[in-house]
Amino acid sequence: MPLQQGSARMRQRTVLLVGIVVLLAALVLAVVLASLLTHGRHEVSPKMLKWKDRGTTKNLQEVILGRCYNYITAQHPELGDKDCLKIWESLKDAFIYKNPCNITPEDYQPLMELASHPIPCNKSLFWSKTGDLAHRYTKSNQNFLTLEDTLLGYMADRISWCGDPSAPGINYESCPKRNECESNPGSVFWKMASKMFAEAACGVVQVMLNGSVEAGAFRSSSIFGSVEIFNLDPDKVSEVHIWLMQDIGGPQSESCSGHSIQRLISILEERNFKIICEDNYRPVQLLQCVHNPDHTDCRLCTNST
Amino acid sequence: KWKGEGTTQNLESIVIGRCYDYIRIVNPAVGEKNCSQIWEAFKNAFIYKDPCSILPEDYELFINLTFHTIPPNKSLFWENNQLLVNSFADRGRRYMSVGDTLFGFVGDFLNWCGQADSPGLDYESCPTTMECENNAVESFWRMASITYAQHSSGVIHVLLNGSADGGAYPQPGFFADYEIPNLQKDKISQIVIWVVDDIEGPDIDSCGVHSVKTLETRLTTLGYDVTCTDNDKSVMFLLCLD
Repeated sequence: MPLQQGSARMRQRTVLLVGIVVLLAALVLAVVLASLLTHGRHEVSPKMLKWKDRGTTKNLQEVILGRCYNYITAQHPELGDKDCLKIWESLKDAFIYKNPCNITPEDYQPLMELASHPIPCNKSLFWSKTGDLAHRYTKSNQNFLTLEDTLLGYMADRISWCGDPSAPGINYESCPKRNECESNPGSVFWKMASKMFAEAACGVVQVMLNGSVEAGAFRSSSIFGSVEIFNLDPDKVSEVHIWLMQDIGGPQSESCSGHSIQRLISILEERNFKIICEDNYRPVQLLQCVHNPDHTDCRLCTNST
Repeated sequence: KWKGEGTTQNLESIVIGRCYDYIRIVNPAVGEKNCSQIWEAFKNAFIYKDPCSILPEDYELFINLTFHTIPPNKSLFWENNQLLVNSFADRGRRYMSVGDTLFGFVGDFLNWCGQADSPGLDYESCPTTMECENNAVESFWRMASITYAQHSSGVIHVLLNGSADGGAYPQPGFFADYEIPNLQKDKISQIVIWVVDDIEGPDIDSCGVHSVKTLETRLTTLGYDVTCTDNDKSVMFLLCLD
């Protein structure tokens, strides 16, 4: 009898001990899980505003600094006096901790001043709905410069950024789309940079438009149609050359005689610019054909075998 | 002291910036990389060393850290037409040249070399390949070319400059000496050669003649299925226009 009582008490003690160990283990697990979950979320303040477009590019500072140094050191040594650290700081100050729907041109003024540089005459190349082709062209023919070939455009190309009033002041999760609010950091930046790019142009300027777009090659709602053409300086710019490019094998929606082009020409002529329009400007078309050598439009005319 | 340009200023910021540019924007498909570690591995290949003693193997850790696969049928080899290649490759979207890989992207158009004295990098001058072959930049591109060739597969393209002095297929050259010998025959289905003239340049070389013929013969002898196409200017002027 005493033996049985002893073993029952031992069993009770064992059960109790096991119970305590299990409880402790559960507690430890709960604490670990809780800290892991909150650690993963500590960068996303629950108070940050939520938007529909992609958030700030990660490692924005390293990318901007690297691009700035790359531009002034490796590509344009004549701009060696630019201070890339100051330029980065001025970009950051333009949007950090601010509501991303309240950005003004004044926010970007210091950046614009630090990063702007003169553009040689006859080299400005504007573009609308032809970004890829225009940039391929300036890469292979360095006689022309798009906005994205200037320091400001080069640093900001394909990057996004926006702030938020709560810490850490930069929103990496989302940023406002244009239709959520117009005065967002990206839209205000590109509008200002485009305005300055147009103001800096001199001599003969070029614009590459897309003759395969159904909605028309020239649109008043584009940055070119709403900002750039109105900021060309008639005292500095003598002529505007329009290159109307159609996709190889693509629809021929519009040519130089088309409606929207006529509208563009009349706007420009009213501002006293001389206009020349060329359908499928040959050197750019050669580039298109280099990319589509097998296409019928680019094939050798058969005159012999 | 040396005949070549010195180390590019702000090299560290440029290399680290390019690394992040690549993994965040240019080609996020390669996934997460440690760009600070990559800079260290790159730098340690040549810093404080005799600038004429750098070998391709010194970049092994750098290559391991930056390595990513090259999609089949996207490799684009080239000689003497870097600007055209850049527009051809369309930033890696159409083709992936060595300059569109992470390891090539961080080094493109830059210059660097070490020296024994502090700060370990020579910003005044660097040896040219004529002065000594085993210099930091030459060995970098040799290693990059070897790696690039070894991991290329499917249909590979070669873009040659038909306007180049001395011929479209240079020998010696990176393609001839470091890429062809490292192609993996069992992974390659076809080699397509394009001979393209400079826009408004002379038509010096073409398929089937001179150095291009030498290249075609070499590749055919090695057992590859080879085709060659010309896109010289005269062809362009004979375009069938609608």
